[in-house]
Amino acid sequence: MTYRVDPTFVDELKKYGHVNIEDCFNCGNCTAICPLSTSETPFPRKNIRQAQLGLRENLLESVDPWLCYYCGECTLTCPRQAEPAEAQMAMRRWLTAQYDWTGLARKFYTSKVWEIGAVFFLAAFIVVTFVLFHGPIVTDHVALNTFAPVHLVELGDYVMLVGLSFFLLSNIFRMYLFIVRSDKSLKIPFKLYITEAWQLLYNTVTQIRYAKCDEEEGQSFWEKTRWRNHLIIVSGYGLMFTLVVVFLRWFQTDNYYPIWHPQRWLGYYATIALLFGAGDAIIGRIKKDNEMHKYSHPSDWMFPILLLLTAFTGILLHTFRYLGLPLPTYYTYVIHLAILTPMLVLEVPFGKWAHLAYRPFAIYFEAIKEKAKVLQESQTTADAYAAAD
Amino acid sequence: MTEPNEENKEKDVKNNSEEPITVHVDELKDAVEKEIADAGGEDIKIGVYVCQCGGNISDVVRTDLVAKELEKFPNVVVSRDFIFMCSDSGQELIKKDIQEKGINRVVVGSCSPFLHETTFRKAVSSGGLNPYLYTHVGIREQDSWVHADHPKEATELAVHLMEAGVAKARLLEPLKPTEIKAKKHALVIGGGIAGLQAALSIAKADLKVTIVEKSHFLGGRVAQWDTVFPTDEDARAVLNRVIEEVLANPNITIHTGTELIAAKGYIGEFNIRLRQQPRGVSEDFDGLDEAIKVCPVEVPDEFNFGLSKRKAIYRPYDGCVPSGAVIDWEHCTKCGECLKVGKKGSINLDETPHEFDITVGAVVVATGFDPYEPFKGEFGYGEIPEVITLPQLERILSKDGPTKGKLEVNGHPVHNIAMIHCVGSRQKEGVHKPQPDGKVNDYCSRVCCTATLSAAKQIHEHFPDTNIFDLYQDIRTYGRGHEDYYINASKNGVTFLRYFAEEIPEVTKSPEGEKNPVMVKVKDHLTWGYEVEVPVDLVVLAVGMMPTPIQDLIGMLKVSQGNDRFLLEVHPKLRPVETAIAGIVLAGTAQGPMTIREASYAGQAAASKVIAMLITGQVELEPFVAKIDPERCEGSGECVKYCPQEEAIRLETFTEDGRTFQRAVVSPANCNGCGVCVSVCPNRAINIQGWTLDQFDAMVEALAMEVSVLEDA
Repeated sequence: MTYRVDPTFVDELKKYGHVNIEDCFNCGNCTAICPLSTSETPFPRKNIRQAQLGLRENLLESVDPWLCYYCGECTLTCPRQAEPAEAQMAMRRWLTAQYDWTGLARKFYTSKVWEIGAVFFLAAFIVVTFVLFHGPIVTDHVALNTFAPVHLVELGDYVMLVGLSFFLLSNIFRMYLFIVRSDKSLKIPFKLYITEAWQLLYNTVTQIRYAKCDEEEGQSFWEKTRWRNHLIIVSGYGLMFTLVVVFLRWFQTDNYYPIWHPQRWLGYYATIALLFGAGDAIIGRIKKDNEMHKYSHPSDWMFPILLLLTAFTGILLHTFRYLGLPLPTYYTYVIHLAILTPMLVLEVPFGKWAHLAYRPFAIYFEAIKEKAKVLQESQTTADAYAAAD
Repeated sequence: MTEPNEENKEKDVKNNSEEPITVHVDELKDAVEKEIADAGGEDIKIGVYVCQCGGNISDVVRTDLVAKELEKFPNVVVSRDFIFMCSDSGQELIKKDIQEKGINRVVVGSCSPFLHETTFRKAVSSGGLNPYLYTHVGIREQDSWVHADHPKEATELAVHLMEAGVAKARLLEPLKPTEIKAKKHALVIGGGIAGLQAALSIAKADLKVTIVEKSHFLGGRVAQWDTVFPTDEDARAVLNRVIEEVLANPNITIHTGTELIAAKGYIGEFNIRLRQQPRGVSEDFDGLDEAIKVCPVEVPDEFNFGLSKRKAIYRPYDGCVPSGAVIDWEHCTKCGECLKVGKKGSINLDETPHEFDITVGAVVVATGFDPYEPFKGEFGYGEIPEVITLPQLERILSKDGPTKGKLEVNGHPVHNIAMIHCVGSRQKEGVHKPQPDGKVNDYCSRVCCTATLSAAKQIHEHFPDTNIFDLYQDIRTYGRGHEDYYINASKNGVTFLRYFAEEIPEVTKSPEGEKNPVMVKVKDHLTWGYEVEVPVDLVVLAVGMMPTPIQDLIGMLKVSQGNDRFLLEVHPKLRPVETAIAGIVLAGTAQGPMTIREASYAGQAAASKVIAMLITGQVELEPFVAKIDPERCEGSGECVKYCPQEEAIRLETFTEDGRTFQRAVVSPANCNGCGVCVSVCPNRAINIQGWTLDQFDAMVEALAMEVSVLEDA
């Protein structure tokens, strides 16, 4: 196999982040210090080398960028200040854009006009929809389900769910083709897809690889701050997503519940977790006080800001409803949806959110490939013995 | 030292008898004999000193017992041991004993003679004795340090060695260093940066210097370079500053177009014959442009490394020194077309080479290097027009080069460049094609790594859209400021690919339909040994350095050559610019690959050696040379036959009482005291002064004597 160099690639990658890999002289300190890289997946050095030479196919079939959680140890250790951790981040954005067959992800990552334009377009779409099609406005008491009938909103939810799932799953399928099917010589028994499926759920729920990243040996859960914080964000996000998509009829209600009612405290927990997560990201990026937040791509701001605004308008909405202020409730509701919708549409299949899916799938694909390789090798050895006999 | 073959030897002998060289042997002989006569008849009084070397010797050897034992020997007047003989008080001891006890031979047992023989000779001399009435005995390196486990035997050994020293001292005679009148004039062979620097430094010490340059202009290889690291200066600007100083110095004479054709002599007086090629064009000739136009002969221009053509009448480059044009005699057909142009000045196509002699006291060999010339087909060189060498790239980048500074090759612009390091350097036997002498260049040329990255920097500055791929084995940017070029290259996006010498990159013409004309394939060890292909518009081979072929000169000067064909110094650390031939020193890349900075160091170091040799107008040589006993010599000529040194010993015809006979005569300036003549003489007629056969006999006898030192104690 001969690989052809492509000197234009580094410049392309530069659009996806603060890339400084020209300075890298391939010493491998980054890989040596990385708590997650292995001899089979020697990142970030391998990915950086692929990027330096512009070996696009190699990079496309690599799961390694998804196995990195950006602890920043490599960047701190790099003798040439080549910023390996940020290079891996840029490669994740680049890969997200490559997996996406619509080309929108690439547009959103490489053009602020496209990204901000899309947010405003979707927000305007929601506002206009409500202006044109809202239900009767009851002003003597708060009647949100009259203003925005929950079954209709739910219908919109499902439409969006199906649409976003379609895009996201088709992107994941492309990711599968790049990563798993690129190696034509590798025969993968179908059974492996089933037996390794637990990886998906297990890693999504536990984020366990994050625990190995950056932390010292023997720390408790509460001391592993980055894993802990990330887990809180994921749980908050997951919970809120479930509430507004699956249980909307129960969640969006005109009833007033006591404080211990799950409809309230589940919502509060999710809101606090989202505020915490988005706030942590934004404050970190402003202060640039850790490696992960040192460099901010425009897309890095968009997601937490939209999230923060979503949470903030959600709180307002809730407050106005409990204070019995009908009009502020309705207006806030529209604004809330006008922020929430672009956040989901943009980020889930085309942006930052997608890593929520890509990371577990990367681990899943990697596990399948590894197992298949072991099987194939033992089969080859067995065949060789059989032939010898 | 090159071994002259038998045939040459005979010729030399003949030459010698025809033209005897002028050393004042007789005067010298008389002086020494007089001194010996003065000393004659006196009692031999020997002072023996055993050094403790602060425990280095005395912790093992009982120096007190050794001194006591030596006291018993005949002629020994004083015998002492002392803590540090080399200290001022130790030396004072010797002086006092000479003056008060009248000792006239001194033996010191201490460290190796390499360390302190000279020290004690000086002490003896300042006590008023001839400094050669001294014997040094090594009882540290040869005894205490190596026999620490056997103190008793070590003490006995020390006594043996010291006895031998005393036995030799008894037979010592006063000697005089050979003094040679030295011409206060140095010859510098080579007008490149090293030679110019050497000449300038020597001239500044008010010695005369003659620069001999084979080509018709000064400056050598530096003149062909565009921008030089680590200062990014214009090479010509650096060079011109040196040349201007050289031209302005009245002590310097320059002969360009000149070569050595014969050399003989020794330090202080080398007789050199030179041959100067005529320029053929007078300096005030004003029709050069027209003459070039009408000249029908076209040959590759060596100044541009064959990238362009020049005529048989030419000037290497504008601003060269000397600035006049020259005729290329090898290619000129003497058609006479050029004679028809120009109003002022003239062209003379009938001029012939002119030979002349000079006599100099010392010679600086600064003959420089040639860039390695790749074989046809080596990395596609000579077959693919887009494959060039780094010196050729420098010409292309140069504003007065064949493309006037435009980055073009074969007529098309260049966007992707591959630079391949270690071409003609660090070669492996069995992998690389050897040179005609059967050897591959296994050495590192040192300069090319930084020079390549420096060129990459220039390209990036002037042509920022160019992509550069750097194929290296190891980056050796070793000098001050060099590493910056490596870091700079990375920052500018130079892509590095690493190959190993066993699997060198493959350069081929691109297949049809490719955008770039050349394809470079390399097994890249930074990418797990993947085979990587790099489509490029230009391949630059970072060729190494090879010494300018100077076999004739090496034969004439008898300087030694290393396995790598570069000239060899006596010792890489202790005598780094001197050759084994006294009076001949090395400067610059004739000795090995060097940067301009290093060549300048070398030139100035060579100059300081030359100045030290010649500044007094006199050269003193150690007297340890062969001496003939005319009574015993029968003129067999064996010594002359076997002497490895040219002109050191010869047969001369004498006539006495009507009888004609031949006797050997030594030329002390040329003799290096090796002793070969002593061993072949059938009549025991030759001795090396200071190490006579009688002295050796006495030493061996003394060593064989029984010693019973500890029983006495």
